[in-house]
Amino acid sequence: MNGIIEIKDVWKKFPMGKDRPGFKEFLVKLPQFLSGNSHSYFWALKRISFKIEQGECIGIIGKNGAGKSTLLSLILGTIYPTKGEIQVSQKITPLLELGAGFHPDLTGRENILINGVLLGLTKDEVMERIEAIIAFSEIKEFIDMPLRTYSTGMYLRLAFSVAIHTDPKLLLIDEILAVGDEAFQKKSKDALLHLIKGGATTIFVSHRMSAITEICHRALWLDGGEMRAEGIPEKIVEEYLRYSG
Amino acid sequence: MGEINRELRRNKDLLWLLTKKEITLKYKRTVLGILWSLLNPILLAIILFIAFKIFMRIKMENYTFFFLSALFPWNWFSASVTMSTGTLIGNVSLIKKIRFPRHFLVLATILAQLFNLILALPIIIGLSYFYGNGLGMSWFLIVPILVAIQFMVTTGICVAISMINAYFRDMEYIIGVVVSMLFWMTPIVYPLNMVPEAYRIYLILNPLTHLITAWRDLFMSNTINWGSIGISFGSSLIFFFLGLLVFQRLGKRLDEVL
Repeated sequence: MNGIIEIKDVWKKFPMGKDRPGFKEFLVKLPQFLSGNSHSYFWALKRISFKIEQGECIGIIGKNGAGKSTLLSLILGTIYPTKGEIQVSQKITPLLELGAGFHPDLTGRENILINGVLLGLTKDEVMERIEAIIAFSEIKEFIDMPLRTYSTGMYLRLAFSVAIHTDPKLLLIDEILAVGDEAFQKKSKDALLHLIKGGATTIFVSHRMSAITEICHRALWLDGGEMRAEGIPEKIVEEYLRYSG
Repeated sequence: MGEINRELRRNKDLLWLLTKKEITLKYKRTVLGILWSLLNPILLAIILFIAFKIFMRIKMENYTFFFLSALFPWNWFSASVTMSTGTLIGNVSLIKKIRFPRHFLVLATILAQLFNLILALPIIIGLSYFYGNGLGMSWFLIVPILVAIQFMVTTGICVAISMINAYFRDMEYIIGVVVSMLFWMTPIVYPLNMVPEAYRIYLILNPLTHLITAWRDLFMSNTINWGSIGISFGSSLIFFFLGLLVFQRLGKRLDEVL
């Protein structure tokens, strides 16, 4: 088995500066900043190493600020590690923040097109699927209206629908199973489960332990930027719950 | 092989859609819509004609044509530079949540502005029939060349400042001043030979002088000024690669400052 994702001793630090450093401070710190040796920083992630195989579903748990989202962003490639190496050998479909590329003044249809391409399809491929996307989102009658007229639920349903129709091979999910009303939640969960069962590699961050134990094959517990434990979901979740009381 | 082809096509689609988004968003909630891009240069031409020909009575022949033949290409440059300072910091959620070539955002800004220049061309063509020799065959060769050259200079400058602005937000205000200074350091309002000889060197050192001269020579007299085109091309390469270098270097830590 070859790893789809290999993370080798990854560290990530963020600078902790004031919003407006002031001119003198700016000049003094400029060389430091440019060379990357800022004095005030904190380590969001420390010595993270793991491997994910094709078709695996990994759950990541931990308190707020434990580094879960940073880890997802590193795997996605929107941020770079300070130290260490990350190898990803698949196209990634992020479900980090639904509708990140949506624009309120464009219509639903225009947003589908631009987001489908941003998430990895060609324009023709989006056009082939556009009817399916609209049907899944259940907002056919509003599809040619600007997005700013949508309710939050409609907005999220459309965003989810676009993402799910991009043939994801590698899914990054950050707590989004609760989209729309009861019926749509079930529908979206079924669609995701269908993808995961169908062999899409998945990394899933959640605070809902039942979802982790239900879906995932393996769980990682992050604590203060470090990997605290790794193993079968039931065991890790139990440890985590006992620890956090 | 098929995969690489598909990726190329996807990037082309993405750039096109981002450009289209820029253009449609600009006029989305207006009544006249995209007509504004055509109307704007026409109204500008009428205003300048009244100001210079009727009020100021500038002695120079065809002054309105002289001014506009440089102003339209200049506007493509200055609008692109001014708008791209905010491009990266204005798309934080896109940059942080989706992985795609970030420089496409800047390229889309520049291409959307190019659209305005293209819609101003009919005015230039009209003026050339009215005052000059009319549309020449040379236009079909040189307009694309000059567009390509100017696209490279503008891209180099825009990607660099959009990135620097994320780290150093004062850039936006510096650029505002620098652009208006450049406007007067480039022979747009006046011809180069009107500048006293002692100071002319400063204008000649400005690469935009040569680019604007090449545009004007083409528009006003169908002249292909290979000298100016050559200098513009050479300097555009330097700006292009330097800009991309800055963009790539600073891009590695963009997430820390957005």
